[in-house]
Amino acid sequence: MAEIFIDNKRFEYDQPTKVLQFILDQGLDLPHFCYHPALSIPANCRQCYVEAGLPVFDREKNAYELDANGDRVIRWFPKLQTACSLDATDGMVIKTHVTSELVRRGQKDVLEFILINHPLDCPICDQAGECPLQEQTYKYGPEGSRFEHKKVHKPKRIQLGPRVVLDAERCINCTRCVRFTQEISKTHQLTIVQRGDNNYPMTAPGHVFDDPYSMNTVDICPVGALTASDFRFKARVWEMASTPSIDLTNGKGCSVDLWTRDNLVLRITPRFNPAVNGHWMPDSGRAAFATLNHDRVDKPLVRLDGEAIPTSWNNALLTFTERVTAANRIAVVGSPHASTEDNYVFKRFFEAAGKGAAVFVPHVIPGSGDGFLLSDDQAPNATGARLLGLAETQAAALAAEVTAADLVVVLNDDLVGRGVLRAEDLAGKTITFASNHNATTAAADLVVPVTNGAEHVGTYVNVDGRAQRTIPAKETSRTDRRLNLEMSSGRLDTFGTRFDNWVSDLNRIDCVPAWEFLTEASQELGTGLYYESARDVLAEIAARIDAFAGISYERMDDERGIALLATNETVSA
Amino acid sequence: MSFDWKTYQPLLIPNIPGLADIKVYEQHGGYVQYKKVLGDQTTWTPEAVTNEVKSSGLRGRGGAGFNTGLKWSFMPKPDGGPRYIAANGDESEPGTFKDRTIFEFNPHSFIEGALIAAYAMRITAVYVYIRGEYRSWIRMMEKAIADAYAAGHIGKNIHGSGFSTDMYVHSGAGAYICGEESSLMESLEGKRGYPRVKPPFPAQRGLWGRPTTINNIETLANVPLILRIGAEAYSQIGAKTHPGPLLYGISGHVNKPGVYEFPSGMPIETLIHEVCGGVKGGKKVKAVIPGGSSTPPLRGDQLAGVCMDSDSLRTAGSMLGTAGMVVMDEDTDLVDVLTRIAHFYHHESCGQCTPCREGTGWLEKTLKKIRRGDGTPRDLELLLDICTQMEGRTICALADAAAWPVRYTITRFREDFEARVKTPVHAHA
Ligand SMILES: Cc1cc2nc3c(=O)[nH]c(=O)nc-3n(C[C@H](O)[C@H](O)[C@H](O)COP(=O)(O)O)c2cc1C
Ligand code: SF4
Ligand code: SF4
Ligand code: FES
Repeated sequence: MAEIFIDNKRFEYDQPTKVLQFILDQGLDLPHFCYHPALSIPANCRQCYVEAGLPVFDREKNAYELDANGDRVIRWFPKLQTACSLDATDGMVIKTHVTSELVRRGQKDVLEFILINHPLDCPICDQAGECPLQEQTYKYGPEGSRFEHKKVHKPKRIQLGPRVVLDAERCINCTRCVRFTQEISKTHQLTIVQRGDNNYPMTAPGHVFDDPYSMNTVDICPVGALTASDFRFKARVWEMASTPSIDLTNGKGCSVDLWTRDNLVLRITPRFNPAVNGHWMPDSGRAAFATLNHDRVDKPLVRLDGEAIPTSWNNALLTFTERVTAANRIAVVGSPHASTEDNYVFKRFFEAAGKGAAVFVPHVIPGSGDGFLLSDDQAPNATGARLLGLAETQAAALAAEVTAADLVVVLNDDLVGRGVLRAEDLAGKTITFASNHNATTAAADLVVPVTNGAEHVGTYVNVDGRAQRTIPAKETSRTDRRLNLEMSSGRLDTFGTRFDNWVSDLNRIDCVPAWEFLTEASQELGTGLYYESARDVLAEIAARIDAFAGISYERMDDERGIALLATNETVSA
Repeated sequence: MSFDWKTYQPLLIPNIPGLADIKVYEQHGGYVQYKKVLGDQTTWTPEAVTNEVKSSGLRGRGGAGFNTGLKWSFMPKPDGGPRYIAANGDESEPGTFKDRTIFEFNPHSFIEGALIAAYAMRITAVYVYIRGEYRSWIRMMEKAIADAYAAGHIGKNIHGSGFSTDMYVHSGAGAYICGEESSLMESLEGKRGYPRVKPPFPAQRGLWGRPTTINNIETLANVPLILRIGAEAYSQIGAKTHPGPLLYGISGHVNKPGVYEFPSGMPIETLIHEVCGGVKGGKKVKAVIPGGSSTPPLRGDQLAGVCMDSDSLRTAGSMLGTAGMVVMDEDTDLVDVLTRIAHFYHHESCGQCTPCREGTGWLEKTLKKIRRGDGTPRDLELLLDICTQMEGRTICALADAAAWPVRYTITRFREDFEARVKTPVHAHA
């Protein structure tokens, strides 16, 4: 065990580490901009200065040299050191701003420099409120500026690519974005152009920043220089609530945060999860925020004379139970897009009713994955469906089954839209649970509106067999964040009144989790399923199905997901 | 110094017409030292060559003045992979124009020196990095290297010795910062010229991650001489702590500016008043920048006895740098001079680190304000503060190079600055 002294406190470490990372790992603060734990270390911002020294070792005595007081003699480095690039060594002594006036001076000086050419347009900058420059200036910066000249002007509102906008004046040249494209996404699309205080990041002439991971640069940009085209000027960060969740647009299941205001998801950002996605996520997963809000099925729909007519929940339930009772042969189609809880209750419902076994059609596009954070599998929960024992089937087999059946029940999966079935196959005999309008709902006789991953608690098992869960971020017309303590609350959620902007019921969708509707239907039919909550459902899954033994929401939260499969194991139907 | 400069016989650029031609060079003992080393590798082991250079006391001529042999000895043991020399001919510091004379008048002395160095460090390729503006000198070097290849001095199994190495010329693209050794390597690798964070040092991880030594052109041109006359004799030339012949590039208000070769340690006043024929128009010397624009200027009335060697200049409050001396007469306004120098560093900062990127611009803007007559005494204190905020706080030494002239020009020529700044109104009260 090696030791290091930081501001007169002794710490131990056993793995080689940089001093800045070590300080941050201890939960201590040291201002920094360019350092990012997943990127190379350019030490260019010069914000993380510390004083560093090493004890003098007396080789003859094989002991540290001691002074008159019996303390180790320390040889200090003559200059301030950047902690991000400084290797911790045994016995090293570090002084941060907590104990060193020189370090405090150094930090102030760098912030003064950074700010002389910074536009200081925080009031209209998207980054304000989550800006490392703003925060560190507040904590460590100078009181004012001594700069009395014209600032350097640089290009503004540059559309670098389809999803990222650059304001070069705000850039502090930390090169995080450049290093991201060099080291993580490996597209090498960005570089710094110009020289000195004219520097800013840019693509090569004639090229666009269309990196499939481009929006990660917006997250790691320590200022508002890079902003997302679809989020710019939409919300101040303090108006939103952020809820931990997962990306449901791909089998990889990146950990994400959903950012909501007035029950609309306004943006999706990656949440650090070393076992799945590290710090990053693909742009495609972020684009999903729109489908979480818009084009939603928000009333049960029945088809009368070819037209979809909104109907009451009561009528929907009766129609559902009548059709199921009347049918002789039902094609029971589960979904790799639906949660484990929904698939489980769906499967159980038809077993209990003695109406057949649930199948599902994986949603795989061979070759679409990139070996990084996008898998060929387009659905978040194929593994979950398999582990639950839903039989895996393919398009042709399902089409035959559907033709033979007199009722088709589909659990939230756009089979028509993704080319598994044709609308004609379903016409006149289909019930579907759905969150969004799509080609399958257009062909169904009854559409039951169900919650999506932003509205329900649900477990999803990714391509690597890792079970992770969603937490509701948006209220439906039947849920309330004041009553559901799991839901996060932003300032407006907590303190807003009806007289505030962005406090309304406009965006609460009238929908339920599929398991809840199916529980009611089972009550109606007297087939004996009864669940109070998703937690009930999961408890039963954990108790009954070996692959899920020991699983719980608490464990999924604490352990950032649970590996259900041994490494390299895959399940097939 | 009891030395008579008039009788000095130049060693680096000897007075031989047509020496740039490989045949003339060979007729006058060229490539003999190289062949001597390659022909007797039991006496001249690579370590023996390195030790010879080390004990000659040769110090780098690129500005930092590090012991050359010692630098070579930092190279790790060969592991079979490639190893490089990057020969630094970027020569972009204002006031410095001496490597050019080697390219033009004695390129083969450099090539021979580089090849001996390559042998001593088991180098597989030497890259000669020349500033892009030196168009015609680049062509001259390309020709000289092609001739040396043709003569069998470079290539595979050179002269049957079993030693192989290659040599290439690489042209810069007009950035002073690419003369800094680590950004020179980035530039050679085809990247943006951003200096690297040290450690790791080039000997550990240099070009393409491989062991690399960077030496100045003039430094390497000294190597054949050391082997010819021996380390002992070499160490007796000029100043004890910084020995050897030196190319003094002298410019400014002197009658005969130019590059002069003399032993190190020449008295500044001898160089100005005798070698260069005195100040134009017989005026007095107001200021001298001894070794390139980044070295602190000395006052004309402080020059007595100051010699061009590192110890003497340190005592006088400056540095030897590249021995590119700029002489300014009594009519020179140091505010103008400093504003121009500050403009240069502002223009040339790579912009990687905050203190240099922002500080160089702030210095220039403040100096321009003073030059316009809008400055206040407070601005002078601000300039010194900005220097403090830059010095020793950056990745490479450019920030220091930008700050030192400001700090020392203001402190040593304060009267020029005070004459320009506005006296605050309340001072009259
Ligand atoms: C900003 C900057 C510019 C430099 N430019 C040059 C240059 O043009 N030529 C040069 O030989 N050394 C230059 N140097 C010094 C080199 O970094 C390096 O110390 C030198 O090439 C080593 O060679 P030497 O040991 O033979 O002197 C520069 C250093 C700095 C910080
Ligand atoms: S745009 Fe942002 S991430 Fe990129 S260099 Fe500038 S400040 Fe850093
Ligand atoms: S000190 Fe200046 S030139 Fe050197 S790396 Fe930093 S910004 Fe670039
Ligand atoms: S974090 Fe930027 S220099 Fe250390």
